[in-house]
Amino acid sequence: MPLLKIDSLEIEVEKGTTVLQAAMVNGIEIPYYCYHPALEIVGSCRMCLVEVEGMPKLQVSCNTFVGEAPPERKIDGKYDMVVNTHNDLVIQERKNVLEFLLLNHPLDCPVCDQAGECYLQDYSFKFGNAHSRFDEDKRVRPNEYLGSQIVINHNRCILCSRCIRFTREISGTSELFVEARGNKSKIAALEDKPLDNLLAGNVADICPVGALLSTDYIHKNRIWNLKKQPSVCQDCSVGCNVDVFYQKDKILRLTPRENHDVNGYFMCDIGRYGFHRFEDLDRITTPMARSNGSFNAVSWDEAIRKTADKLGDEGAKIAGIVSPFHTNETNFMLGQIINGPTGTLPQMNDEEIIYQSGFRISNDRSPNRRGMSDVCPALLEDLVSEIENQDVRMIYVLDDGIDREIDDVWKKILAKMDFVVVQTYAMTTLAQSANIILPGPAPYEREGTITNDGGRVQWLRPSLPMKGESRADWEILMMVMKALDKDAQDFTDIGQVMKDMGEKFPAYDGLSFFRLGPHGMSLNGRANG
Amino acid sequence: MSTFEPVLTSNITKENSHTLDFYQSIGGYSAIKKVLSMSPLEVIDVVKASNLRGRGGAGFPTGLKWSFVPKDSEKPIYLINNADESEPGTFKDRLLMNKAPHQMLEGMIIASYAIGCHTSFIYIRGEFYREYMLLEKVVAEAYENNLLGDNILGSDYSLDVVIHRGAGAYICGEETGLIESLEGKRGWPRIKPPFPAIEGYLQCPTVVNNVETLSCLPHIITRGADWFQSIGPEKGPGPRLFCVSGRVKNPGVFEEPMGIDLKDLIFEKAGGITNDNKLKAVFPGGSSSAILTAAEAIDVKMDFEELAKKKTMLGSAGVIVMDETVDMVHACLNIARFYAHESCGQCTPCREGTTWLVKMLTRMVKGRGTLKDINMLFEITDNIGGLIDFSKGSYGKTICPFGEAVAWPIRSFVEKFKDEFIKYLPQEKVAA
Amino acid sequence: MSNKDIHEDSFQYTDPDKVEKIFSQYPDKRSATLPLLHLAQTQGGYITSAIINTVAKLTEIHPAEVMDCVSFYTMFYSRQQGTYKLQVCQTLSCSLNGADDIVDHITQKYGTQPGETTSDGKFTLLKVECLGSCGTAPVIQINDDYHEGLSIKELDILLDSIP
Repeated sequence: MPLLKIDSLEIEVEKGTTVLQAAMVNGIEIPYYCYHPALEIVGSCRMCLVEVEGMPKLQVSCNTFVGEAPPERKIDGKYDMVVNTHNDLVIQERKNVLEFLLLNHPLDCPVCDQAGECYLQDYSFKFGNAHSRFDEDKRVRPNEYLGSQIVINHNRCILCSRCIRFTREISGTSELFVEARGNKSKIAALEDKPLDNLLAGNVADICPVGALLSTDYIHKNRIWNLKKQPSVCQDCSVGCNVDVFYQKDKILRLTPRENHDVNGYFMCDIGRYGFHRFEDLDRITTPMARSNGSFNAVSWDEAIRKTADKLGDEGAKIAGIVSPFHTNETNFMLGQIINGPTGTLPQMNDEEIIYQSGFRISNDRSPNRRGMSDVCPALLEDLVSEIENQDVRMIYVLDDGIDREIDDVWKKILAKMDFVVVQTYAMTTLAQSANIILPGPAPYEREGTITNDGGRVQWLRPSLPMKGESRADWEILMMVMKALDKDAQDFTDIGQVMKDMGEKFPAYDGLSFFRLGPHGMSLNGRANG
Repeated sequence: MSTFEPVLTSNITKENSHTLDFYQSIGGYSAIKKVLSMSPLEVIDVVKASNLRGRGGAGFPTGLKWSFVPKDSEKPIYLINNADESEPGTFKDRLLMNKAPHQMLEGMIIASYAIGCHTSFIYIRGEFYREYMLLEKVVAEAYENNLLGDNILGSDYSLDVVIHRGAGAYICGEETGLIESLEGKRGWPRIKPPFPAIEGYLQCPTVVNNVETLSCLPHIITRGADWFQSIGPEKGPGPRLFCVSGRVKNPGVFEEPMGIDLKDLIFEKAGGITNDNKLKAVFPGGSSSAILTAAEAIDVKMDFEELAKKKTMLGSAGVIVMDETVDMVHACLNIARFYAHESCGQCTPCREGTTWLVKMLTRMVKGRGTLKDINMLFEITDNIGGLIDFSKGSYGKTICPFGEAVAWPIRSFVEKFKDEFIKYLPQEKVAA
Repeated sequence: MSNKDIHEDSFQYTDPDKVEKIFSQYPDKRSATLPLLHLAQTQGGYITSAIINTVAKLTEIHPAEVMDCVSFYTMFYSRQQGTYKLQVCQTLSCSLNGADDIVDHITQKYGTQPGETTSDGKFTLLKVECLGSCGTAPVIQINDDYHEGLSIKELDILLDSIP
């Protein structure tokens, strides 16, 4: 393998690695703007210039490939390439490029969303001049909407062309282009074809400066006020990895988190903006019991007792409805409690969308169908018929949530039931047919594991605190379980649930949040995986 | 001085010099017959031996460029004739296209054969519409006479020629910008590597040659590499079309051997300065070269090496003459404005630097400059195009040589005529 | 440059044979973009968004990619120009030989600043960069034709003779 000397480091790299890639992996910082690992190399920002021994000009490290040099051309007899990222010339050149980039920049950090996570700020601070020598009039343009979700501030744009390459290579929708040339260049979209595909939000992420901004997040907060929780998107079965940015009990935005086994570098707008559905929701945060047609708040003790009384009835026929919107631990627990027929409500399918780069939005807009069927093996295809055949009169339901529609068939079934327990977080259509409502967390308050459609188990982490008297879903089911059987196993934390789940379903054996880490674990190759 | 027997422009005064009949009557297309009996490698060797260097501006050895094309390529190989003549001060290719188009076409056939190309393009600048119409007729004539198309002159070799019009962009004269434009995109030059000879048009091996370079080829084949080499200096020989324009009595294209004294070009061939004024400064190689003062100009030969020693370049041999009536600051602004207009905008130093220069020079010309500005002019040009130190090689920071093309002339204006710039400063600022 | 012009719902080439010939010359479709745009502009006078959509469909690329191309080149116009485009070269050799006087003269004669069209739609004055005929400076290109080395008087005679 070629031997690269970069500053004082001697490293062996795979043939064809670029100097920039080698530097990044080895902790040497070379500033760059236009380079992005998911996009074609253009070498246009000129920020990553380094000195390569033997080449007269400074080279852009993003496009300088390390290869084997013939023996007579090896430097000092052993190096295939010697690079200096830090000498006077390179440092001066970085200052010069930054000076050029800031010529027409409004320097309006106090009102710019990107402040605090801006590469122009960071590199100026680390590599730039302390002041500008530009005495002319700056070129000023008004902001424009490129699509309903993305606004561009042209004055901050450094024309790195990442956004354009994104729409051409990743989404394949090519809405963005450069208009005019030279200093008059600007990013634009055709008026009748705005940037409105479902991957549009990503361009604001990849924009290294505050030029492309999300209209959803603009001027709402400051990055340094927000806490960041790595988690997994729950809006389809792909399970893109995300970072949830929140402040106290409000989510401000989601951005994609890198995971090369799931979503690469990006996420879709359905998941990105989906958290809004749960804001300002009329929540159920205390247990409820129905009497004489209306719901009243009751204590947990009463709710659990009433539930256990009915479920514990000899000869009672009970059906359990698990949910692909719930975690493995929750579904597993319900599966353990219910002796009767178990199944799910009808799958609500939507459009599958696959973009040019292969990025996929699944037609299954629930996050955990695979996991649910893994840990509840006896799921019936036709639960409706079985309920009718066995004359089931009681149902325990894990509510899919506010997106769940109840069709006429199920409306009739629910109406016929003697006793319905619904575990949910809001007064959904389903909850309205309940006798007992047990309040669990809303999606962004949940913790547990979910399995995507590729068989990857991932750690779902909560970003918001639970409200009122709500309890974790697995905890509720454990209380029911204990009420039904005093000698039932007592789980004190979700880890113990996972252990039990792993014993009963070997593919999930040995699971722990620590083990799952930020990128999850594949079931492929595991027993029953 | 002795008059040089023109080679490329030997018959341009004849009214029908552009026709096939005429060209064949003076021996045209006999080079093709010879080439078809040689192997492509032999043709490359002859051109290498002739030391022919590109006449578009870069001056790269032609035979060497051809030899970079992989011999065992599975992809089609392309030859592109760069007829996008846009370098200020240069107007020789237009002359060759109008008056000796078959000579150029014969050169294309030779080059295509040497590199193994079967589809060749002429990229002609959009503004040359009449020339484009003429070339369509010329190409049609060649097809009708078995000089293009299948089995040229009964051989195994086939070649198609397609004429592709540009649409107004100087940067499309740069080889990778040209290739992008040919592919139907904006003319943004590509980063190298990969080099066009390996991955060019549609990611296939591509060679881009200038009109004049191609026009030399039939003569090299028929009269031999030694003959070509004997004209002018050894390292950059051959007949050359020198364009002289600006403040001269008799501007035009003059075919002379490489290495002619610049003063002869200006004072003998071009008739001297308008109104017999005094010479002040000269662009020796189009506006992308550093200017020479009058003292430097009368002491230099028009040759790649000689001009490089004087820290400028032969380039496209577009000589622009400036006399004592020319205001150097205005001339500098004119050139800066040209480059700002033509900058493609892709990379940072050029996109921002060129407009910065124009804004600064405009302000200075209006009398609102400072001494700091004069130093800034040096700094900005260095930051765009790098230091002009040929012993170390240039330190250009841009994707393509446009950066150097901006920096060298503008820097040379400020360096060599600093007092004129200082004269524009409000005097109290200078005294301070 | 405005990309808001929608004057027709669709654009049809009046000579589809020419379009076919263009495509036959290139190994791929996209390379036909520039010749198709030239042909469309000759027919339609300037590049409308209908033309962009048609060219995009024919070359199988996105309209934004065609627009990217159109807005880069100076010879493609996105607005109606005068019947005669008076393109005066302003680069060094022409500037040293009276190009600025020509621009001023035309401005005075017709009342159009560079970039403007006369109110009767006949002339548009445009300042352009080097036209590649520096030896016959000053050069003015009127539509497709070069007119070289004209004095102001000769220019007047020429302009007045245009119908």
